[in-house]
Amino acid sequence: MNIGTRKILDRSFTAVGIGSIIVMAVALMIVVVPIITNGIGAVFFTGTVEHRKMLFSEFKRGDSENLSSEVASSERYRAKVYQMLTGFEAELETMAPEQKAEYQAKYTQVRAALQALLGPLPGDPEPMLTRFKYGQTRWEKAEEKLHDLLYETRWDNSNPEVMAKEYFVSRAIGFQGTSLVKLFPYVKNNLESMLLPEFTCYWGFITDSSVDSHFFGGIWPEIQGTFFLAVGAMLFAFPLGVVAAVYFTEYARPGFLNSMLRSANSTLAGVPSIVFGMFGLAFFINTMKVSESKSVIAGALTLAIMILPTIIRAAEEAILAVPKTYREASLSLGSTKWNTIATVILPAALPGILTGGVISLGRAAGETAPIIFTAAVSVGSAIGLADVFSSPTPALSWNIYNLASEHEAAAQIRHVQYGMVLALVSIVLMLNLSAIVLRARISKKLKG
Amino acid sequence: MAGESEGECNRTNAFVVSARKRAMQNVAKRAGEGMLFAVASFVAVIVLFIFYFVARDAVPFFQIRGFSEFFTSSNWYPADDPAQFGALAIIYGSLMVTLGSALIAVPMGVAAAICLSDILPFSVRQYAKPVIEMLAAIPSVAFGFFALVILAPLLQNNGGPLLMWAWWILVSPFMLLAVIVISDLLTTKITEPKRRQQLHLFFMIFLGLLSVFLLFKVGTVLYGIQILTGTNALNVSIILSFMALPTIVSVSEDALQAVGRDIREGSYALGATRAETILKTVLPAGSSGILAAVILGIMRALGETMVVWMASGNSSQIPEPWFNYLQAIRTLTATIAGDMGEADQVTGSARFHVLFAMGLLLLVISFISNLVSERIVVRQRKILSGQ
Repeated sequence: MNIGTRKILDRSFTAVGIGSIIVMAVALMIVVVPIITNGIGAVFFTGTVEHRKMLFSEFKRGDSENLSSEVASSERYRAKVYQMLTGFEAELETMAPEQKAEYQAKYTQVRAALQALLGPLPGDPEPMLTRFKYGQTRWEKAEEKLHDLLYETRWDNSNPEVMAKEYFVSRAIGFQGTSLVKLFPYVKNNLESMLLPEFTCYWGFITDSSVDSHFFGGIWPEIQGTFFLAVGAMLFAFPLGVVAAVYFTEYARPGFLNSMLRSANSTLAGVPSIVFGMFGLAFFINTMKVSESKSVIAGALTLAIMILPTIIRAAEEAILAVPKTYREASLSLGSTKWNTIATVILPAALPGILTGGVISLGRAAGETAPIIFTAAVSVGSAIGLADVFSSPTPALSWNIYNLASEHEAAAQIRHVQYGMVLALVSIVLMLNLSAIVLRARISKKLKG
Repeated sequence: MAGESEGECNRTNAFVVSARKRAMQNVAKRAGEGMLFAVASFVAVIVLFIFYFVARDAVPFFQIRGFSEFFTSSNWYPADDPAQFGALAIIYGSLMVTLGSALIAVPMGVAAAICLSDILPFSVRQYAKPVIEMLAAIPSVAFGFFALVILAPLLQNNGGPLLMWAWWILVSPFMLLAVIVISDLLTTKITEPKRRQQLHLFFMIFLGLLSVFLLFKVGTVLYGIQILTGTNALNVSIILSFMALPTIVSVSEDALQAVGRDIREGSYALGATRAETILKTVLPAGSSGILAAVILGIMRALGETMVVWMASGNSSQIPEPWFNYLQAIRTLTATIAGDMGEADQVTGSARFHVLFAMGLLLLVISFISNLVSERIVVRQRKILSGQ
């Protein structure tokens, strides 16, 4: 090969390496950015008067005088809609039976769309589910529902070769020549006056419980459940892990037994997380009977086993990183080995051990598979500290799965899902960031 | 005299006490050490327990149904009467997404590891490492949510154009490189400079046109592809490769760093470029460590649950044709997670035990690959330290 080609190859080799790191950074961005931007929307959004009504009646929050004046002003605009509806209903009665049936079907759709937009209409029975008691609480959702009201969605199946295409037909055309045709432009032009959108900062998303399976309200029970599980796991795993690390670094003599133990440690680190869940179910719940069925304690124990190898490894590294001179100085002053470990080595290694602990805490908080069978429930309220031995808990990681894949109206509560994912990701990344900062400090300190 | 004897006595007493004390101390030390050992061996006990308890619930399945159906049939109808427990398609699905993610993650991960250990200056490396750690820290359910809510609709609606752009962006630099290298290699034998230059130019143009044609041809084919479902093996493979990358990068970087400076310097001294040094000396020397990294990364993809459960489509079938990554599949982990809830009520049935059989399969695979990768790392360390 000539020199020029070799040079080009060399440069492009570098480019491939740098390129792959850039791809990784971009992948991180692509995953994290939509989660952050959409997740923030769970707390900061344009809320409608329906949101304030909901807050007042479900959480007793808000200024009642202010609210009633807002409701009154929105009702003034809504009254005209209701008037049009009653007008059209009267008109329906006068129609020929065939025509009436045709319009009745279309009118039912319009009513349903209006209910979704504005909440129950006059004359409707009191809805059973809270989600139907209010209209759209978020402005961007209200705009979607307005579109549903104005246009009918149809599917074009004319070409069997390709997938059916979606297209929209204006509903107003269907009501041409009746009194209802005026409704559509009226709602379109006066939606703001009917819903009174206003920038809302809903911190309750973090501190409230959910209402009607996450249609309204917040995610506090999940955050608390995640906290209980992760901290519970740490309570078991951290002391055990540090003690084991002390044994491995200070006492273990090289030999068959030691290499077996080390193998066991790396095997445990490699066990798939779902297998931990099965083990938790088979051992802690079915055999040990730590609780009747799923419980926080069973989940925490399962998570503890899962993070134990990580903690042991981090603690080992931290202890090995303590300079030999510390140990020698302590021993030369006549202190015993145990004394040296307890008063010199462990304090010096503590920041490093804590770093490992913090990272493991994040891992325990984010892991889902081990708690599916042992601790997690999809709906539930926040549990007290006394209930951890007997009752399961909702947790962020499990409920993200549940809301996104199994909720009956998953597409309608995307903002809650994004908010939950953001809450979980930010908890985990915060823990990791603090660990990174902590570690940078330690390496500076050890360097002097 | 009396005082003296008293002193003597005291001294003996002191001696006796200290001996007893020392014995006590010795016992305490032994006991303490024993306690520490007990805690340290706790991990081993847990591993044994995991094997025992998963196997205990897995064995009844094989007792009831035997081995052949589980491994050879792909009829998975656990809820039917009579139930069928053919897990072949599920095992195949697991292998498929694992292989797919490895195809993406291994080249990228190894390239990134090389870059981190040999190419980037220390100041840049400091910022690249946290990025990798963050990628490792993101919870799997967040990845799964991304795959289900963002990536799946994207693939379903704009799958063809996306594939085309991915093909162009990823492949065209390598095509260009290949054209340059091949045309160079084809003309090295010719000694006459003028003729050589002419031929070189001819090959460049010829191969260049050929590769451009290939790029466009494949691009248009990809553009025409319609992805029927966004929750498919491709989606899951991409996301799993993101999740396997941090493991592969950090373990293989360690392996490359373990390859000493002297080997690199020797290669540079012989006039090799950096790329040649890395490809011909550093990589072969670190290859076993990189293999270990790849095994660990693959295991992470095989054992991952949430992403595949949410975004693989969960349909128990072997894709048609077998390499079609655009179809929905189902994996072992997702089956365990998804079916346990329905099987739990009837504890003792084959339906419950078959899930533990799957768990045992996963456990055995991960155990073996862990042992293998550990062996490899130990061997590499021995070779490199020259023992």
